[in-house]
Amino acid sequence: MSYKSNYIVGSIPLDKLKPKKVRKNIELTLWERLYIPEIVRGMYITTRHFIINMIGFVFPPEGKKRKIFTVYYPEEKLTIHVAYRGRPVLVQREDGKEKCVACGLCERICPALAISIVGGERENKERYPVTYTLDMSRCVYCGLCEEVCPHEAIVMSDEYIGLAEYDRKNMIYPKEKLLVPVARLKNRIEYVREIYGKANYMD
Amino acid sequence: MTDLAKNLHTEHMVINMGPSHPVTHGTVKFLVTLDGETIVDFDVEIGYLHRGFEKMCENSTWEQVFPYTDRLNYLSPIINNVGYALAVEKLIGIDTPERCKYVRVIVSELSRLADHLTNVAASGLELGAFTAFLYFVEARDLIWDLLESVCGARLTSNYVRIGGLKNDLPDGFKEQTKEVFKRCRELWIDVDKLLTKNRIFIDRLKDVCIMPPDEAIAWGFTGPCLRASGVPYDVRKAQPYLVYDQIDFEIPIGEKGDNFDRYLVRMEEINQSMRIVEQALDKLPDGPINVDMPEYRWQSKDDIYTKIESLIFHFKTVTGGIRVPQGEVYFPVEGANGEVGFYLVSDGSGKPYKCRVRPPCFPLTAAMPRMIKGALIADIVPTFDMIHMIGGECDR
Amino acid sequence: MIADLIEAIAKILFVFGVNMGFFAPILGWVERKQSAVMQDRVGANRADIFGFTLIGLLHPLSDTIKLITKEDFIPAGANKLFHTLAPFISLTPALITFAVVPFGGQYEIFGRRINLVVADLDVGILFVFAFASLATYGTVLAGWSSNNNWSFLGGLRAAAQMLSYEVAMGLSIIGIIMVYGSLKLTEIGAMQTDFFKWGIFLQPIGFILFLTCAIAENKRAPFDIPEAETEIVAGYFTEYSSMKFIMFWMGEFLEMVTISGIITTLFLGAWHLPFISDERLLSLFGFAGPNGSIIMLMMANIATFFGKIIFMIWFQMTIRWTLPRFRYDQIMKLGWKIMLPISLINIFITGLVVLLK
Repeated sequence: MSYKSNYIVGSIPLDKLKPKKVRKNIELTLWERLYIPEIVRGMYITTRHFIINMIGFVFPPEGKKRKIFTVYYPEEKLTIHVAYRGRPVLVQREDGKEKCVACGLCERICPALAISIVGGERENKERYPVTYTLDMSRCVYCGLCEEVCPHEAIVMSDEYIGLAEYDRKNMIYPKEKLLVPVARLKNRIEYVREIYGKANYMD
Repeated sequence: MTDLAKNLHTEHMVINMGPSHPVTHGTVKFLVTLDGETIVDFDVEIGYLHRGFEKMCENSTWEQVFPYTDRLNYLSPIINNVGYALAVEKLIGIDTPERCKYVRVIVSELSRLADHLTNVAASGLELGAFTAFLYFVEARDLIWDLLESVCGARLTSNYVRIGGLKNDLPDGFKEQTKEVFKRCRELWIDVDKLLTKNRIFIDRLKDVCIMPPDEAIAWGFTGPCLRASGVPYDVRKAQPYLVYDQIDFEIPIGEKGDNFDRYLVRMEEINQSMRIVEQALDKLPDGPINVDMPEYRWQSKDDIYTKIESLIFHFKTVTGGIRVPQGEVYFPVEGANGEVGFYLVSDGSGKPYKCRVRPPCFPLTAAMPRMIKGALIADIVPTFDMIHMIGGECDR
Repeated sequence: MIADLIEAIAKILFVFGVNMGFFAPILGWVERKQSAVMQDRVGANRADIFGFTLIGLLHPLSDTIKLITKEDFIPAGANKLFHTLAPFISLTPALITFAVVPFGGQYEIFGRRINLVVADLDVGILFVFAFASLATYGTVLAGWSSNNNWSFLGGLRAAAQMLSYEVAMGLSIIGIIMVYGSLKLTEIGAMQTDFFKWGIFLQPIGFILFLTCAIAENKRAPFDIPEAETEIVAGYFTEYSSMKFIMFWMGEFLEMVTISGIITTLFLGAWHLPFISDERLLSLFGFAGPNGSIIMLMMANIATFFGKIIFMIWFQMTIRWTLPRFRYDQIMKLGWKIMLPISLINIFITGLVVLLK
């Protein structure tokens, strides 16, 4: 049942397809049939890993705590890339008010229907969300709300801790729980400006 | 003899294997009829992960579909993103910038790498070689770290957009990739030594569940399983999309179509994918990644923040969805498991009229009974692993 | 008379204490940690008392407390008597077998001859096999009485596998018995004073055969098909919980210790150090007086013996975490078509050599 030429799909010549047989030299020699040499080789590999890792525990390589790449989670934390999409948060202006103008774009685009907004107006005719509810039990962290927001009002923070709850009711976040001061979100806001910036679009 | 058969009363044993069985991962159920250890009859029941993907798409705008596609083949989500985006772009008739194409190739191949690593690792694990599993899981984790720095998430990437990408590659991505691949290659060699020449492993996989090429084609096989049967069909070569025609890579093919061939094809594809990524990174041109077509790709934030026309148009496209011209299209891409095809119908409104996915592992899973009958109960494990059924993709 | 009794009780307590108090709990930890480090992981290290994790050493303790306090579940339709009896049957032989394994030589301290073995039987090695084959009943009963299809398959597999390998295991050590001319484990041990007279050099094939069969007997990977978790869930102990579940695990670990003990006695020079004879050691310890030096020698021998056991356990664990699992028919083929003929050939050649000598 070897390869036959009539199985070429379409009219692509073989040299363009570049098939590479992977089964060559796979028949076992008598030496390999004996089980033992291969077992010894396998044990050599695992033992090598064992010894290297043991040495790595005692004398960790420079700049790291240990040779293996495991992170002891609650005590140590990963350094998170700025691209990481954690819990979505509302940006809080320096004067303590939310930046959101309740335009409803995030509510519209959210694929999981997690956001619900009731808009209102302040005395100075400024629109603001009277309620802004984010159902964290529905949120899929896709980041589309951040992408469509025309006012830099909602961004994905780097928070990923403490999002699990025993009760679903606690997972419905009101506006107060979502607000994060703008100073803490500088990095992400800059990153968002950069990635959706004009430079990434064709002229 | 007849006396013996009459007096020695034996009967078949029917066993429900799954969905909560260690090998079925909660996503599938096998109804196995056993004669001792031999499988007499085999029935696959799918649908445990059915989420109504296709129906959900009909109720969301074209852009909103991307997070859903992440959940199809959740081991290589970006390939689904790319496939969907390419299908929509074909329907619209737009071409993306060169850099975008290269980046799409890079991230697709990285996810294919993650998928194959997981698959080979899981097969090793389920055959009892726990060490090989963890070596490859380490490699996969490194690749996920890379992808995380690109997309912002390890699994639910939501990276590709119609007419572009969410964001560009981060700084220093090439160097990081080089480092990661160095470690991946080390681990690949270790796993190769642990498994490929190991007699126990070979005995478990070799000559088990053979699928001849003509039958494989008849069953609708694609991807590594078809190539293992000796048919050099790869969408990347047969109908090159993106920039795959400018990149030099080989299609690994097997000879017999047994499980061992499937394993070898995947192991070789890991190497080929790494080659593709390296080449693409070398050739990666500078420039933009998004088309400047506000009617299809949301505009840049610079415009939205500063220009009132842009802002109004942005509101229109987001709330109403982009207006994809009427028509229908089928676009296949080479997923990690085989041909992932998106068949889209547009009625000109902001939502897909129909979004049908061709999951590569559906035909593969359908062929399970054909392959497994007459084998032993222990053969279900490697066969099901090599079929690599992903519940999210198969059940949608 | 009373001194004899005290000596016997002391030896029993020692063996029992080392096995149940040291090896049984610590091996769970060793298995976790060793596999973890081999696989670039950290391993269990979360159980703590007041913040002290002691590199995971508290995990066996917390596991034991957890499992003891769990519900002891007997499935509906199970045979209660056999379901309860099975774990005891599989644990006891592993403990009893150690009675005939000598963990040191014979010493004269204060005019008393001390033989460091619980029961110095003339049929030592046969006793080992007799009790090892009893363990089969434990697994088969467990599989049969659970009223579960997976357990049933596991029990069947266990029965077939253990019976097949019993044969090859029995034949594999005939060679060593012929070479040393004794069934007594103490005598076999005492004869291996010279490094090059260790069983492993006189009977290399016998060693490999015995090790393989012993691992198969113990149902550890790559021979763990009776409990192959990806095929038949957990095999014969699918339906076990709580203390009975621990007993299966302890049985497995203790059997590993026993196997290592027998291998050490038969093939690895028992309690002798390589290249350093007991006389050398005795003269080295001369400073402690006649009795003191003998006591120190005894300690050294016991330490050597357990050092070798620990090495063998490490070896078995490395094998377990390196290799994939066999398939049912391949195990049978290996047992009957490869192991059995090779052990027969081994006996034949050994016999020829012994005869011609």
